[in-house]
Amino acid sequence: MARRYDSRTTIFSPEGRLYQVEYAMEAISHAGTCLGILAKDGILLAAERRNINKLLDNSIFAEKIYRLNEDMVCSVAGITSDANVLTNELRVIAQRYQLQYDEPIPVEQLVSSLCDVKQAYTQYGGKRPFGVSILYMGWDKHYGYQLYQSDPSGNYSGWKATCIGNNAAAAVSVLKQELNETPIPLGDAEDLAIKVLAKTLDMTKLSSEKIEMSTLQRDGDATTIKILSNAEVDKLIAKYEKIQAEEEAAKKEKLAQQQQQQQK
Amino acid sequence: MESIIGIKGKDFVMLAADSTHPHSIMVLKDDENKIHKISDSLLIAATGDAGDTVQFVEYISKNILLYKMRNGYELSPKAAAYFTRKNLADYLRTRYAYQVWLLVAGYDKKEGPQLTFIDYLANTLSVKHGAHGYGGMFCGSIFDKYHHDNLTQDEAYEIMRKCAREIQKRLIISQPRFHVQVVDTNGVKRLEDITTENLKD
Amino acid sequence: MALNDILKHMPSINDAYNDFKACEELSFANLTQNKVLSVPPYCNPVENLAKLQEGNSDVKIHFDHGTTTLGFIYQGGVVMAVDSRATGGQYIGSQSVRKVVEINDLLLGTLAGGAADCTYWYRVLTSECRLYELRNKKKISLAAATKIMNNIIYSYKNSGLSMGMILAGGDMNQVSLYYLDSDGTRTTGKVFSVGSGSIFALGVLDSGYKWDLKDEDAYELGRRSIYHATHRDAYSGGTVRVYHVKKDGWNLISEEDCLNLHRRYQAEKNN
Repeated sequence: MARRYDSRTTIFSPEGRLYQVEYAMEAISHAGTCLGILAKDGILLAAERRNINKLLDNSIFAEKIYRLNEDMVCSVAGITSDANVLTNELRVIAQRYQLQYDEPIPVEQLVSSLCDVKQAYTQYGGKRPFGVSILYMGWDKHYGYQLYQSDPSGNYSGWKATCIGNNAAAAVSVLKQELNETPIPLGDAEDLAIKVLAKTLDMTKLSSEKIEMSTLQRDGDATTIKILSNAEVDKLIAKYEKIQAEEEAAKKEKLAQQQQQQQK
Repeated sequence: MESIIGIKGKDFVMLAADSTHPHSIMVLKDDENKIHKISDSLLIAATGDAGDTVQFVEYISKNILLYKMRNGYELSPKAAAYFTRKNLADYLRTRYAYQVWLLVAGYDKKEGPQLTFIDYLANTLSVKHGAHGYGGMFCGSIFDKYHHDNLTQDEAYEIMRKCAREIQKRLIISQPRFHVQVVDTNGVKRLEDITTENLKD
Repeated sequence: MALNDILKHMPSINDAYNDFKACEELSFANLTQNKVLSVPPYCNPVENLAKLQEGNSDVKIHFDHGTTTLGFIYQGGVVMAVDSRATGGQYIGSQSVRKVVEINDLLLGTLAGGAADCTYWYRVLTSECRLYELRNKKKISLAAATKIMNNIIYSYKNSGLSMGMILAGGDMNQVSLYYLDSDGTRTTGKVFSVGSGSIFALGVLDSGYKWDLKDEDAYELGRRSIYHATHRDAYSGGTVRVYHVKKDGWNLISEEDCLNLHRRYQAEKNN
């Protein structure tokens, strides 16, 4: 039955669903995880890198995180070739705005412009939706630091912290646990990002080859965008592991003490 | 050709424009307003080809309002002036170039006052004072002598009166009445017209 | 093909044949849709059409031109007055042109400039106004009507149209007066006069105009202004028509031959 309705994106199923769009979302839930955290004094994106062949030259190509203009960065989850088309489109939209108004595009305008493109691919005949969800971080003079997420249907929303890709739901629940109403400093957000990735990625040990991380901060009249080097990421991981080990040790000690008390 | 004049002060911009509407050798009307209010923080004074001025300013102003409707915040005066320039420049390269000379005046709570001079070739300059038209040619030296960076609105109005007086004395074309408007942190306000009669006082 | 051959043998057109070569961009959409007016079917009509109106060409097209029209607003509404002469070059084509167009019960417009341009676009405007009424179940305002006209005219700017229109109308609450022309101007005002005789009409009109004019005096001022224009301007003449526009509609006040007016005014002067 479903076959009659899922071969064309433009057609609703009898239950009122657009299968192709849902399949696209499904594709993303298998993709490398991306997460974003809005901090008090900045904002960060972190992503899981899947393609870690030793022969790959990472100085040429970043897999997950793309700079869009002077004060926006995005990270993508989904089909990388589709993502390349969209990041290119994002950069063109941003430059077109710059050309028309001689100032950087406000964050939400860029997100919603791209979502117009994504939406169009769920409606016009013969098209396949983009299998890409995107996290955007940026700064504008109207609303300061902002974090957005968009999905293949063309929906977008703003977040304090969120996650897309593989195991996103688990990551979001960790973020919910760790964060409250008061924003945290960027340094803490970096630690938190590593913690969330460590808990949600399907791997025993984190390494800097598998993680891309980028931060965005406002310095006076300019935006500083930093892509963390492997050494910096390793430092964060080491810090996390150390704390983890200490906690583990503390726990063990506590357990031992309890056992001793029980024995007494 | 008609005159439009603009002066930027410390926390405001003032525009003046003569109110004649010439048609060949005739004054078609003597109470035309050439200073268009685009929003509570933006004014555009326009002169040039009869149909083009109104049509172009309306086109720009509706687009600026549309931007506000879509995004919930206004375009800054700098961005508005750049947008105006861009459209004028793009039309310049078509068969339907607009023959308009503009002064874009705005006040932004963060960026302060902004006065932009744009001619029909889309030459654009951010200026402290500027003028278009034959009348404007008489104003340059008046600005140079009397303008300073801490200008008050009263002083600026007095400079406008000096300009109007000089235009009426030396320009062969009669321009008996000038409309004056000012934009500052409180919004847009129309000041008393400068006329041949009240210049005698 | 055949037409081309014939045209080549006509000496007057042969020289300038290239000026009138068919232009690929042209459309003939106006055959089915009257709001889209095709420009003449050759390149650069603004430039080349003018050649036919100058003296150099053997083939001459003289558009009907030359007029005096006026309209002014005062306490009692709007008075509009016009002459009725149509001229093509030196030739008087008609002495009985109706230069006030009755668009509907509330709106009037005068025509000056190219008679064909004006009458054509007034017909389009009239139909637009009627369509507005049918769609919105209310009469169109003068502001909206003039904006429609202005937008159409502006889209033909620099295509050779020649028009100067004064429009007046009421919307039950107030009366207003607009001036439109083929440059794309659209503006309101108190006193307007358009046409070759306007300079003469304005001399009388401006010196006699007051806001507080009584109705009869206002009619007479309009009539007198047009009469003086018909007297001084060779391209104006025929019948002087005076209309009065109030907020609930318009009336035709008088239609008098300018010769009769001349005799009457001369007699008054001599007494």
